Amino acid sequence: MEKLMADLKAQIVAQLNLQEVKPEDIGDDQPLFKEGLGLDSIDALELIVLLQQHYHIRIANPEQGPEIFYSVRSMAEFITAHQKQ
Amino acid sequence: MNIFIQGMGCVSPQHTTGGPFLAEIREYEGNRLKAVEPDYKQWIDLKLIRRMGRVVKMGVAAAKLSLQEAAVVMPDAIITGTAYGCLDDTGVFLSKMINQQEEMLTPTAFIQSTHNTVGGQIALLLGCNACNNTFVHKAFSFESALLDSIMMLREGAVQHILTGGVDEITDHSHAILSRFGLYKQAPIRNTALLQSATKGTIAGEGAAFFTLGTEMTAHTVARLTGVSTLYRPADIPEITGALQVFLSSHACGPEDIDLLICGRNGNADEDGVYEAITQALFPQTAVAGFKHLSGEYPTAAAFATWMAARILQLQELSPGVLISGTAPAKIRKILICNGYQGTHYSFILLAHPNI
Repeated sequence: MEKLMADLKAQIVAQLNLQEVKPEDIGDDQPLFKEGLGLDSIDALELIVLLQQHYHIRIANPEQGPEIFYSVRSMAEFITAHQKQ
Repeated sequence: MNIFIQGMGCVSPQHTTGGPFLAEIREYEGNRLKAVEPDYKQWIDLKLIRRMGRVVKMGVAAAKLSLQEAAVVMPDAIITGTAYGCLDDTGVFLSKMINQQEEMLTPTAFIQSTHNTVGGQIALLLGCNACNNTFVHKAFSFESALLDSIMMLREGAVQHILTGGVDEITDHSHAILSRFGLYKQAPIRNTALLQSATKGTIAGEGAAFFTLGTEMTAHTVARLTGVSTLYRPADIPEITGALQVFLSSHACGPEDIDLLICGRNGNADEDGVYEAITQALFPQTAVAGFKHLSGEYPTAAAFATWMAARILQLQELSPGVLISGTAPAKIRKILICNGYQGTHYSFILLAHPNI
C-alpha cells in the first residue's frame, strides 16, 4: 500500500503538471479536491484517465468518483480492491 | 474619429517585458528565435499556469502588461489574431490520439488546443464577459483583429478594446516549415539576417497586445491611423499603388513618413519588394527592420506595431533597427509595410498622438 501511494503521488504530480508540488508534499489522507490539493473537475477527468492508463481500471459508476478520488489513500484502496477481484 | 493605443505589452525573442526599450539586441545563432519568457507568476495563479501552453502564457502576459500600462481594469472587448493558435497543445493532443489509438485522451491538451484559447484565458483571468473574438486569417490574423477593433470603436459601442497578435513556433512546426523551405539551411546570426543574400529566413514567435480607445489619456502611447491589407499582388507596381492609395486615404503622402518599418526577413526571394518600394516611394526616408529581432511568423506585424508605437512615444530609435537613412529629430509618422511569403502584404500607419 505504501509503495502504491508513493507511485500514485508521483503519477498525480506528473499527469496534472502540478508545478512546485513534490510527490512527498501530498499527504496520504489529504483531500485532493477543493480545500486540499485544490484540484477541479478537469483534474477529475485526468485522474480517471490515469487509472485507466496505469492500472487498467475503468470506473463503472461515476457516482463513486468523489469517494474514490477523495485522497491518495482512497485511490490506493480502490485500486487494491479492484486488482484483487 | 481617432484611435489611440493607450497601453501595450509584448513578449518576444527580445527583452520587451521591462527595462529600457530595445537597448540591447539579443543575439541568436541558428534559424529560430525563441521568446524570452518572463516570470508568469506575477500575472497568473500557479494553479492556472500548469494547464497553460507557452503561447497562452505569452498572450496573457502581453495582455496584462497592456492593460496595466493603459490603467484599464476591464476592456469592453478582447480581439485576438493568431495564425497557428495553440500549436504545442494541438501537437500533444494529436500525438496522443495517434499513440493511444484515440482512447484514454486527457481533456487538458484538447481544451488548450483551440485557436481561441488565448483570448478565452485572458477573459477568464479578467472575469471579462464582453465580446471575445479570435481571427485566424493566416498572415492577416493580427491585421484583421485590428480592423475589427477599429470598426467597433468607430461604431461607438465600446470604449476600450484589448487587441493583439500571438503565435508560437514549436519543434514540430519548425521541422514542418523547414521542410517547406521557409527557413535558412545554414546557421546565421540574427543581427546579420537583413544583410543575407540567401533564401529562407529565421523562425520567430511572440505576443503583442494593445489597449485601444478613442480618448487621448495621460497613458496614450501613439495614434493608430490606419490599417490595410493586400493579398497576392500581381507585381510591385500594384503594391506601391496600393500603398499610395492607403496613404492618401489618411491624408498623407510618402514624404510625410518619418520612418518606414519594413518586413525584410533576409530572404533573397522576398526582400527585393522592400528595396523596390523604398526606391519608388521613400528614397529619402529612414528605413528600419524588425524581423531580425522577432523572427518571421504570421503575426509578426504585431511586434512591428509595438516597436513603432514605442518609438513614437519615446522618440528613441535603437541603432540596431535602422537599415538605411537617418531618422529625423522628431518622429511624427511611422509606416509599417510588412509581407509574408510574398502573398500577404499589410500597411499599418501610426502617428505621434499630439499631431
